[in-house]
Amino acid sequence: MSIDAERLKLPLARPNVLDLAPLYEVLRREAPIAPVTTPAGDPAWLVTRYEEVRLLLGDKRFGRSHPEPDKASRISTSAVQDGPTGEYATEEADHTRMRRLLTPAFSAKRMRLLGENMERLVDACLDQLIAEHEQTGVVDLHRGLAFPLPVAMICGLLGVPEEDNELFASLSERMASTEIGEEAHAAREEFFRYMVGLVEGKRGQLGEDVISDLVRAQAEDPSFDYVQMVRLCVGLLFAGHETTVNRIGLGVLFLLTERSRWDALVADPDGRVDAVVEEVMRLGAPGDLGLLRYAKEDVDLAGVTIHAGDALVLSINAANRDVTVYSHAEEFDPDRPERTHLGFGHGAHFCIGASLARTELRVVFAALAKRLPQMRLAKELDQLQVRATLTGGVAELPVTWRSA
Amino acid sequence: MNIVVDQGKCVGAGQCVLAADDVFDQRDDDGLVDLLDASPPAERLADVRHAAAVCPASAIEVRV
Repeated sequence: MSIDAERLKLPLARPNVLDLAPLYEVLRREAPIAPVTTPAGDPAWLVTRYEEVRLLLGDKRFGRSHPEPDKASRISTSAVQDGPTGEYATEEADHTRMRRLLTPAFSAKRMRLLGENMERLVDACLDQLIAEHEQTGVVDLHRGLAFPLPVAMICGLLGVPEEDNELFASLSERMASTEIGEEAHAAREEFFRYMVGLVEGKRGQLGEDVISDLVRAQAEDPSFDYVQMVRLCVGLLFAGHETTVNRIGLGVLFLLTERSRWDALVADPDGRVDAVVEEVMRLGAPGDLGLLRYAKEDVDLAGVTIHAGDALVLSINAANRDVTVYSHAEEFDPDRPERTHLGFGHGAHFCIGASLARTELRVVFAALAKRLPQMRLAKELDQLQVRATLTGGVAELPVTWRSA
Repeated sequence: MNIVVDQGKCVGAGQCVLAADDVFDQRDDDGLVDLLDASPPAERLADVRHAAAVCPASAIEVRV
């Protein structure tokens, strides 16, 4: 296999929801920063090696804003990570303020305190699935567990009414869709209006939740723009459920498509779950693009010159399977000696919800292994419906534990 | 072993707390790193090194 002299067109087609296009291995070896055409038809650089992806995520010469947003390369036709975000002049200060506001609410310690509450929620979900399974013999883990747990947790943290979940889940789905064109942007507008309603409804009776905190902070700080605050709330609600729902799904698929992986977890759930979660974070590869950055100045790196204003797609999926970093990189192996990965990013934009996600994933996989040790997939991997969204994942997760 | 943390670099990710909660904590008011033990016993070295390696802001330095 060799790389065409012509620009590659993203996305690179993948064989299934768990594996990546084999071309990524060639790119890492021969063109770790390669010129590509984005799904929106614009030029960008695709970065595939661990070393450069990590470096670029931690380098202040690259940001998410663009001095001339109208001229910037567009990435996808969805309305998430599709182009530049934020004000070029104030990006760093805005981001620092946001982190300062949000970090305490998402700290590792606070998330640990939520653990018991999560365990109760997961047990309630599993009780219901077990009852349903007695009737039907097959249940959908996506609808019955992977979706409701992260939704309940993020609603509680943000102060969003849980009964709105169908509305914001559908808005999230449409906003991240790569197949509906302008409709995705309409969904983003609609999500914004929903959030304005929520924010204004809270204003008179602010509580102990993250959206209330942001409303207070915005009211006290004249440099904190209202639109920016509402967008941040939308971003937190979107990312707070969408990503973890998908990750639970991918994790279940990795574990159940190879029985020995599942049996190893079942044999010692408490001892093995942390390592399993890290491997799910490393190898799970939702979506077909990556994190988006724009260069603030000209930079020479890995044999190419990136010009100021150029767009870069940092492929976390490819970096996490870099054979120069990971032994048998494509294999699911929780016992591997390499314990780091870029599944939550790196640098100043490191996922603020990482401790929340880790706690949720640990609770979910430990509980599944303890309560449903006989569980197996009720459909072949290739028959599962894959979501056509930027964040990827599966739309269903049918399982059974009926004796065959 | 001697540990130095840089609160100016810290982004409050809390990765160090998950790696070694007897050595690192997060402050309640701003979520930034709080070093509980600057020179833990040698048997903690592996976890402390891991904490330094996973820190997204490279804010932890371990001297042996």
